[in-house]
Amino acid sequence: MTSYSKEIIRDLASGQLPWPQTRRIMSAYKDDDRFFKMVAVHQDRVPWKDPILLPVSDHLFICQSGDERITRCECGHSFGDYRKNWKLKAAIHVRNTEESLREIYPNSDLPDPEWMEIREFICPECGTLHEVEAAAPGYPIVHDFEPDLEGFYRDWLGKPLQP
Amino acid sequence: MLDKPASALRLRERLLDSERLMEETGCYDGITELSLRNQDPLKFETLHTKLRAYCVSAREMARRISASPGVREVGEMVVAIYTPEGDAIALSNGIMVHVHTMSRFIKWMIKNGYEDNPRIREGDIFANNDAFIGTVQVPDVMDVVPIFHEGTLVGWAGAVCHELEAGGITPGGDVCLAQERFTEGLFVCAEKIGENDEIRRDYVIRCERNLRMPIYWVLDEKAKVASCIDMRESVKQLISEIGLDYWMKVSKEFIEEGRRAQLARTRQLTVPGIYRGHTFYGHVTAGKPGFQPLGDPDWLYNIPIEMEIGTDGKITMDFEGTQPWGYHSMNCTPAGMDGGMFVTLTQHMNFEGLVNDGAWMATELKLPHGTWTNPDNEMVATATSWALLLPAYGVFQRLLSRSFVARGYVEEAFVGQVNSPMIEMGGESQYGTPFGMAHFECAAAGSGALAIKDGLDTAYVGWNPESDMGNIEVWEQSMPMVYIGRSIVPNSGGAGKYRGGCSFVSTWLINKTSHLRLHTSEHSSRVFDNGGMCGGYPAPTCQKHRAVRNSNIHELAAKGEPLAHAPGTDPHVSDYERNIGGDHVVVEGPYITAPHKQGDIFSHSYNGGGGYGDVLERDPVKTAWDVENGFLTREAADQVFGIVLKDDAEGYPVADIDATAKRRAAMRKERMAKAIPVSDWIAAERGRVEKADFAPEVRKMYASAIKLSPRFTKDFSDFWNVDARSIFTPGAKP
Repeated sequence: MTSYSKEIIRDLASGQLPWPQTRRIMSAYKDDDRFFKMVAVHQDRVPWKDPILLPVSDHLFICQSGDERITRCECGHSFGDYRKNWKLKAAIHVRNTEESLREIYPNSDLPDPEWMEIREFICPECGTLHEVEAAAPGYPIVHDFEPDLEGFYRDWLGKPLQP
Repeated sequence: MLDKPASALRLRERLLDSERLMEETGCYDGITELSLRNQDPLKFETLHTKLRAYCVSAREMARRISASPGVREVGEMVVAIYTPEGDAIALSNGIMVHVHTMSRFIKWMIKNGYEDNPRIREGDIFANNDAFIGTVQVPDVMDVVPIFHEGTLVGWAGAVCHELEAGGITPGGDVCLAQERFTEGLFVCAEKIGENDEIRRDYVIRCERNLRMPIYWVLDEKAKVASCIDMRESVKQLISEIGLDYWMKVSKEFIEEGRRAQLARTRQLTVPGIYRGHTFYGHVTAGKPGFQPLGDPDWLYNIPIEMEIGTDGKITMDFEGTQPWGYHSMNCTPAGMDGGMFVTLTQHMNFEGLVNDGAWMATELKLPHGTWTNPDNEMVATATSWALLLPAYGVFQRLLSRSFVARGYVEEAFVGQVNSPMIEMGGESQYGTPFGMAHFECAAAGSGALAIKDGLDTAYVGWNPESDMGNIEVWEQSMPMVYIGRSIVPNSGGAGKYRGGCSFVSTWLINKTSHLRLHTSEHSSRVFDNGGMCGGYPAPTCQKHRAVRNSNIHELAAKGEPLAHAPGTDPHVSDYERNIGGDHVVVEGPYITAPHKQGDIFSHSYNGGGGYGDVLERDPVKTAWDVENGFLTREAADQVFGIVLKDDAEGYPVADIDATAKRRAAMRKERMAKAIPVSDWIAAERGRVEKADFAPEVRKMYASAIKLSPRFTKDFSDFWNVDARSIFTPGAKP
């Protein structure tokens, strides 16, 4: 069975693994022990102790915080119950003018702000840009991901979560 | 007359029986146990690999027969081997989207009584390019031949080529001006086009008299038939070695194995749950010549997707909430939607090569009736289905990638495909003859970023995983235009910790013709039709076309004056305008204008992919390299990424790490100062929503989605705490 050291997984996740090695990992059969190794890599990286249950973005994690399962930023900021859309507890910056769109697209043709805006969802504590939505004005904010956390741990990982 | 198949049932009954067994047992053809695989796994796998080798080799051989640079250079072809009921057992590389669309074509013939009339006999050749029967768009012409063994139909061999010219209202294959089926070009509707391994002369005459450039289509037909015969003979030889009974059983076990492998891979690589995303497509045609006033000239489509991964590993994609079909060429049939799913899955999850229709059977598409994904009118045009398919399956790639990130397989996360605008042309060639062609250099766009590295520059499109832009010299042989520039478009990849792959722009001088019609399609206006991921920005996919009519380029060249070879990086004034005299034209959206003539200049830029991760985390050293090599501008490095560059002794950009850290800290502060709580934003925006204070096209989009989708209506109403129906469709019946 394919398996890699935690150090290799750490370097892979941070984009530091040399390309030839990365390429071999991409082409090989997958390492079935990846999930918990990757969680351990993330756990080493974050400055807090709550056990990570699932990474959901580059710097966002669902973790067990006491009796609650919450979405937490790498900096420690809590976005609340993981079943709710974390974006609703974020800070937002909307680019809906030519001037503000031009800041991101200095040399390109721009979308029409009457038809499309850029929404930046930001951690209010550390300022990390967690997600960008390109949407028509008035479009509801999308709830990207509702994981079946219990089903995942019970049926796929064989390690049911404690209720 | 069809001879008795192995099961003694006629094909139609056998197909219905197979579908019933799938329904009853949940397994393909009722195969609940892979007994042949269990008996002798080595023999089983060797046979499967052999079948794939037959396909790959038949395709390579056939490409040499074709006259089309699309097939010869770019590889716009795929071949596959099918069961008697039309399920793909093995396939070649290439435009894999059609493996499943061909399956639909075969099943359609079986279900429509082809066994009795026109009959299915050894040596017959059947062709189709009708998307409601089974293809994506009119230029995707498919040929299939039955495989008989000692009088028994034991399978099919099939091949598809994308034709560069389809004889529609506008030249080329992706007929951008088609607004109904009747202007899309030459249709071949599940037709018997040959017997005894020979294409009928009357069919060839029909092609010769209805296409602008019949040499492409006709020689592609010969290439496809040759590949089908090659595969057929290989399969017959194989059956004589392994026996008919073993073949009939093993070919189906391969498919059931493919279905199980897909479910297992989903369980291995992803996380169960519900994933959501959306994208948009804008179309602007008001005032452009040739568009009939059948619908709104300008419109905006939303493409929301909800993907569910069940704990059984099944992937379900639901398009509820999207827009109705329209009088344009971008509608898609369920066959096309299936094809998009298949080509995305095969390159995204089934990278081991031994893939077949079983993978598709482990998924489900929910395509709301009456929408562009499943039109309730078979007269609609689908010639440029890809315009909406590509953005849609780009969303699918991002949704899958979210699951890969969650599961820890970050190396598989991929921000995905973008639209690949295509130029099509026709008129008088440089040889003084009539011609028509699609230019397939679009097969090398920029890809979305990965979660661990930048996207591929000028090397990826979703519809052909072996992207190749073709040689300039070959394209120049085929069209009355010569290249005066082909270069990377700086900043064309979406910004992010890892940027999207960059695209390129070509500039041509129109040459030796007095009548060249140039058109473009699959090019969204006013909105991004792609997205970023995990903080990455979308790529700027709403670029305009630039041309110069009556240019003074020959005079400038004679004087040795500088020319312009690309639009440049000033969005307000292009280098063409700076350096070249003439009538400058800037066109938003599809390029549809009066014919060009020699001396005119035309440029076309392709799309880059979306970015991944927060821009403020991008590697400064890599960014300096990007600036040095033209992938990013200094302006973008500074303003978007917060990277301070200085020059080394030779004038090359070098990152100032300390200054960059300071600048980024300041930008982060500024970012936080500008942002407001989402709850405040919602409260402020709600007033605008209540008044429907949006552009007419945006209001129309909401009204259409609300009319078609109770779920969209509820989600919209719940989110804004309004009655969406009364705002956007006042007076409509609930």
